[in-house]
Amino acid sequence: MNSFAEINDKLIESTIEIFTGMVMMEISVAGEPLESMGPLKNSITGMVGLAGTHKGVLAVHFPKQVALAVTSSFLGMEVEDINEDVQDAIGEIANMLGGNLKTILSVRGKDIHLSLPSTIYGDEYAFSSQAEVDQIILPFQAPAGLFYVEVELEH
Amino acid sequence: MGDLHLEAEKYLIDAILEVFASMVFIDIAAELPAEESTLEIQPNLSSLIGFAGDLKGILAIHCPAAVAMGITTSMLGMEVVDLGEDVKDAIGEIANMVAGGLKVGLATEDKKIELAIPTTVVGKSIHTSGLSGATRVMIPFSSPLGRFAVELRFIHS
Repeated sequence: MNSFAEINDKLIESTIEIFTGMVMMEISVAGEPLESMGPLKNSITGMVGLAGTHKGVLAVHFPKQVALAVTSSFLGMEVEDINEDVQDAIGEIANMLGGNLKTILSVRGKDIHLSLPSTIYGDEYAFSSQAEVDQIILPFQAPAGLFYVEVELEH
Repeated sequence: MGDLHLEAEKYLIDAILEVFASMVFIDIAAELPAEESTLEIQPNLSSLIGFAGDLKGILAIHCPAAVAMGITTSMLGMEVVDLGEDVKDAIGEIANMVAGGLKVGLATEDKKIELAIPTTVVGKSIHTSGLSGATRVMIPFSSPLGRFAVELRFIHS
């Protein structure tokens, strides 16, 4: 398996690739990885589980205005509130990131399987996992604001 | 193969009753499966765990704050008064064990699944949803502490 620094770099690369190629939005890394994620306010999180040789979860956290801009660009339609389209779009972005994470962690993503993506949204929430995990939180800058890609992998 | 929706529902209920009887020591009863819109449970804490394999999906336990704290108090044998680490760990572990029970149940139907890790979300007016199109089972449970719900969403891989 790759070192954590390598996983970081490849995850950044593939996040930018997905946004450029699928969401049609230019994004960039916004500084160093974070140590922890504070409570999320008025946000939506897309997440997907990893099972198999690597167990963990990938989550992508968007403040509402960023989620709406990303969905509009991704689906090519205006959205004004967190509705089913936004939930599906954010879930699908988590799913695509999870697919790339699989291939980062193992050759051709062999022996790692993704769960169904799900989304969480609310006025204020905190997100945490129980298991003993290695954690990566990467901040990205989109035109509408910051968002975060988080990966937690069981030791 | 029988109706997988009903089989999964049965294994899910069996798994959660077993976990509560052996680990939590609280009597609970399954109510009829419900639509979320009629559920009237406002979760302050949801623990989710993904799974993949012959079926892929997600299992979630949704608890109001008082129920989550009551379950943790009973399970750990110590008074818990806020939605802190102990509660997140306890409900996350219950989600993990229930998913483990579901895995064993599905194995008797020749359906193999592997589990991801549990994640817990704590907050005000939180909503969770899956991709549209998945089979969805939402089962409310009643307990002396109040009601909570267990949710399962899955598709065939």
